Order: sequence, then structure tokens, then C-alpha cells
Amino acid sequence: MRTLRIVLMIVVALLVASPAPPAAAQGVTADEIKIGALGALTGPGYLYGRLIMNGAEVVYNEVNKAGGVNGRKIVLVREDDRCDAASAIAAAKKLIFQHQVFMLHGGGCSNASIAARPEIEKANIPWVVFASVADEVTLPTAPYIFSTALAASIESAAQLEFALQRGAKKVAVISMRDAWGRARYNPLMETFKRKGVTPVADEEMSPDANDATPQVLRLRQANPDAVMIVLYPKAAAVYMRDAAKLGFKPLQIGQSALGDLLAFRDQVAIPNALERFYTISHVRYTPDDPEMERWRGLLEKYFPGDRMSVYNIMGIASANVVVEVLKRAGRDLTRDRVRDELNKLKDFNTNIYPGVITCTPTDHQCHKTPAFMQLTGDKVKTVGVTTVTR
Amino acid sequence: MLPYLLVSGLTTGSLYALVAMGLVVVYKATTVVNFAHGELFMVGGFLAYTFHVLLKLGYVVSLVLAVAAALVLGLVTERLAYRPLMRAPAISVVLAAVGFSFVLKGAARQIWGGLGDYIPFPPLVATPAITMGGLIIVPQQLVVLAGALVCMGIFTVFFTSTRAGKMMQATAENAKAARLVGIRVERVYAFTWGVGAATGAAAAVLMAPLTFVYPDVGSPLLVKAFAAAVLGGFGSLPGAVLGGFSIGLIENLAGGYINTSFTDISAFLVIMLVLIVRPTGFFGPRAVRRI
Repeated sequence: MRTLRIVLMIVVALLVASPAPPAAAQGVTADEIKIGALGALTGPGYLYGRLIMNGAEVVYNEVNKAGGVNGRKIVLVREDDRCDAASAIAAAKKLIFQHQVFMLHGGGCSNASIAARPEIEKANIPWVVFASVADEVTLPTAPYIFSTALAASIESAAQLEFALQRGAKKVAVISMRDAWGRARYNPLMETFKRKGVTPVADEEMSPDANDATPQVLRLRQANPDAVMIVLYPKAAAVYMRDAAKLGFKPLQIGQSALGDLLAFRDQVAIPNALERFYTISHVRYTPDDPEMERWRGLLEKYFPGDRMSVYNIMGIASANVVVEVLKRAGRDLTRDRVRDELNKLKDFNTNIYPGVITCTPTDHQCHKTPAFMQLTGDKVKTVGVTTVTR
Repeated sequence: MLPYLLVSGLTTGSLYALVAMGLVVVYKATTVVNFAHGELFMVGGFLAYTFHVLLKLGYVVSLVLAVAAALVLGLVTERLAYRPLMRAPAISVVLAAVGFSFVLKGAARQIWGGLGDYIPFPPLVATPAITMGGLIIVPQQLVVLAGALVCMGIFTVFFTSTRAGKMMQATAENAKAARLVGIRVERVYAFTWGVGAATGAAAAVLMAPLTFVYPDVGSPLLVKAFAAAVLGGFGSLPGAVLGGFSIGLIENLAGGYINTSFTDISAFLVIMLVLIVRPTGFFGPRAVRRI
């Protein structure tokens, strides 16, 4: 009897001393991982929200069809930040506290993401940013916030580098100076300084402008070889229309906000206006590339009526990173494990981004390889890839 | 650079003037500032897009149809947002107009701009810019400027020479007296809202080929038109026209010769200065204080 008691006591002691299985993380059940998608679902910013989410959801649907990640299906819950700071904070809170998602995958308009960042940071929830480019989204580095989007500083450096590579000696700038524009304009000016180049003209345009005549005439007077365009699509289209009308045709280099070249061509709507126009893309492929055929088919299947765009492709690429990290985090899924796996992610090739994805504990801007695209006739082609080192 | 900046400034200014005219017409007759005027302008642009691009009708036909449709929309606006509140405090009428502007914007987003697109409108003239001894001539702008001047002329003739226009003027001068001489004032109010919307639509159809149509296009235009009307002396039609042209010119000249960052703010700086010197604007009635 005494022996039995001793054995029982040992068993109880062992049970108490042994580590308990990890408590199920919020948003994770035996067969489900809930991911919150944050971005603009409505309004002009839908490109950087809904379209990217559609691309990501195609990947998640396919992963689910193949059995899920480590036996769990991914459930994507969307909230609309309407590209607006206040709505983004509300949307982030709703995803974290009401929907109780495990992690976030989203962030389109930078101003909205910057506003939502403190709330997300406080919640210690992993957030993989898919499109917001402002450096403030990822800097200073926060333990759980990572980005698969090109940062504004990386784009700006690449933009000038590309112009110089193409032989431009005199370079001018046309930019918006709102929060979005500043996030790109300031690093661009720093890159100018670093390269020892002084812009021959530095013009400003408002996002609501319906006429770019003064800007074009002033740029024309400076006679630049290349113009760096830091404008939203609408302002950029007004500028390109007026430039074409006034016969001003230097090398024109845009940023990823103008990444959908076919849509941009439709907006400019003047034949040959984009003859000397190049722009940055986060991804290697154009929507009509044969390599994208499988994804095009899947997008049409899951989202009938969507014409594939670079934004869908960005979502596909970013979701591949999320899936890979979830796989590596294993069956005992916790937020800390996801964070650790993201920190360790090195040279991960999605085959969609122009380069590899590498994050480190001190650098969470994991994508540093922009591609440059040009429209030739009706075809968008990749004309170069640059890896930015800092 | 100067000649081109002048032509461009006059072109943009003519459109501001047309929008300001619509605003002033309604204000003169009803003493209500129609804060939905920008959205009526926006709907005019989308209607023209529907007729010209989607239904492939000719540009002039589309202009006429869009203006006519906007006139009807103006009548509906008056019926829904103004007439029920005719005897309510002014703030209620203003709020109703603001509310109606959001309804129109939301409706446009649902019908035409649900995807948030900036919809391009085909150019009126395919001929590219012509450079003659350093002078750049863009035929497109000249056509738009001429179109705006013609529209202004038509509206001026309407107000000064037609029976309906004269009744509107009489009602604006003194509604009670107009009623006494048998003018059906309520009907005139309704018609005034219609004509106001029609001028906005005419401006939108002329502006569309120079820029885009999109659901949010109305608000910035309303601000510029409001500024033009204030500069001209709120309530004065010639003042609205002069104010519109002035703002277009100031914006372009400041952007071209001082700095492009001045393009948007220059007009408002000048307005502030003008109003300090002459608070009633160019043609506004002098304030008289009876002692």
C-alpha cells in the first residue's frame, strides 16, 4: 500500500513538473488558423487592399484544398481600412479583439498602416505587411511587424539608380508632398545627396490637381534627361497627359503606385504617351506573363470578373511567404514561433518577387529587389531588376 | 511660357467660372449656398461619360443630354432637399444640401466608380500641340475655352433675354413682389436649382476631356468655384465669371513663375488680400450701415 502511494506521488509529481502543452494561441483551433486581412476594400485605395487580398486568398484556398498548413485550414477575415487612418485603427482593433485573429496579413495605404501600427504593436500579434511602402510602417523595427513590400526608401534609391544606369545626367523630380509623397520624396532626396546628384528641377503637384501645365513647363525649361515621378496614379496620369500634349518626353520613371501599367495606360489615354515611361514593380511578372497562367485561372475561378493585375500578384507572392512561415512554425503554433521563423527567413524564393525574401531580427524590410517595367505596345515587360543594398 | 500659361489659366478659369455661375444662380434666387453643387457637377461628368463613351453618342449630343439630365436632377434636388425645408432655419437647408452631396457621391460610386477608378474621357481634338516660334498651342484647350465661353453666353442670354430668366431675376430681386405680380415663385425656385445644376454639368462635360471623371471630383471644384464667387462678390454673375478667370490665371502664373507649390494656395492668398481691401469682392454690393 505504501509502495503504491509512493508510486502515485511520483506520477503526480512528474505530471506537475512536466511542461504543459502550449495553450492554443488566439485564432488557432485544431483545424483552423484565422488570419486578419487589413486594407482598403472600397474607395480609390482598393487596388492596395481588396485586389491584393484576392491574390492572397487564392493562395490560401489552394493551400486549404491541399490539406492546409500542418493540418489546419486558413480562414481569411477581411476588414476595410478605407485607406484612412481612423478606419484603419478601428479595423485593426476589430480584427484583433472581435474576430480574435491569430495574425495579420495586410496593410495597403501607408497612412492607414502607420496609424494602425501602435495598436498592432501593442497586441504583440504577427503582422506581415503586403503593400504599405512607407518606412515608418517597419521602422523602427518592431518585434512582430515584417514587410514583404518594397519600402519607400528602397524604391526611391532604385528609381534614381535606374535613371543613372540609363545614362541620365540631368535628373528632375515631380512629387506630391502629402504624407504619402513625403514618405518617398524625402528618401529620394537623400539618395540624390548620397549619389552626389543635384536635381535640375524639383516640382510639386497636388493629388487633386486637374492641370499640370505649370509643372510641365517648368520641367521642360530645365531640360532634364529623366524625371522621377513621385505621384499617385491620378496626379501622375494628369501629368503624363499634359507632358504628352506639350511634347515633353524625357525618360519618365515612376514608382510602384503606378505598377499597374495597363490601367495607367488606360487612364492616360493618349497614344504613345508612355513611350519613355518606366515604373517599379514589387513583383517579377506582369499579369499576362505565361508564368502566371495557373494563377490567372485560379483568380478567375475564385473571383470571377477580376482582371489579373500586379496587385493580385503581390498578394499571391506575399501569401506564399506567410504560408511558408506558418509551415516552419509547426503544429504547435504560437505567435512567438511565427515571429522567430520570420526572423530566421533567409533567401526564401517565392519565384514571384524579383529577388529573395530575407528578414533578420534587426531588419524586417524583407523585400529589397524592385523590378522595372515598361509598356511596349499592349505588352508589359520587365526591363531590369535591381537589388538595393544599404 | 507666358502665352501658354495664360491660355491654360483662362481655360481652367472658364470652367471655374461656369461652376461658380451655377452656385451664384441658386444663391441669388434662394439665398442658399448649394453645397451639393460640386456633386451635381460630378454627376454631369459621369452622365456625359455614359452618353459619349458607353453609348457612343456624339460629344455635342452628349453635352446637351448631360445638361438636360442635370437640369432634371437639379429639379429633383430642389424637391427633395430644399423645398421641404424652405421655412426651416438656414443651417437645416445647408445640412440637407451637404447630406444630398454625400448621397450623390455614394450613388456615383455605386453606379460608375465602385472600383474607385479615375475614368478617362477621350480628348475632344486628336491634334497634338503645335509649336510656333516658341509658342505652344494645344487645340484641345482652345476648344474647351471656346466651349465654356459659348456656354456662358447662352446662360447670360437666358438670364437677360428670356421670360424664364427674367422671372428668375425678379424672384431673386424680391420674392414677395414677384409673387404679387403673379410669378409662381416656388416653380421659379425649382427651375433655378435646375439651371444651376445644368451650368455645373456643362462645365463638367467641358472639363472631362482635360482630366478625368471620378466620384470625388466635385469637392475640390466646389471649393474653387466658391472662392471664385466670393472673389467676384457673392451673388454677382459677372463677378463669378471674373472671379473664375482670375483664379485660373493666378494659379497658373504663380505655379509657372514663383513655384509649383504655390499653384493651389496662390488663389486663396490673393482672395484673402482682396477681401481685406474689399470685403464684398469685385462686384458685391457695398455694405451700408444705417445709423
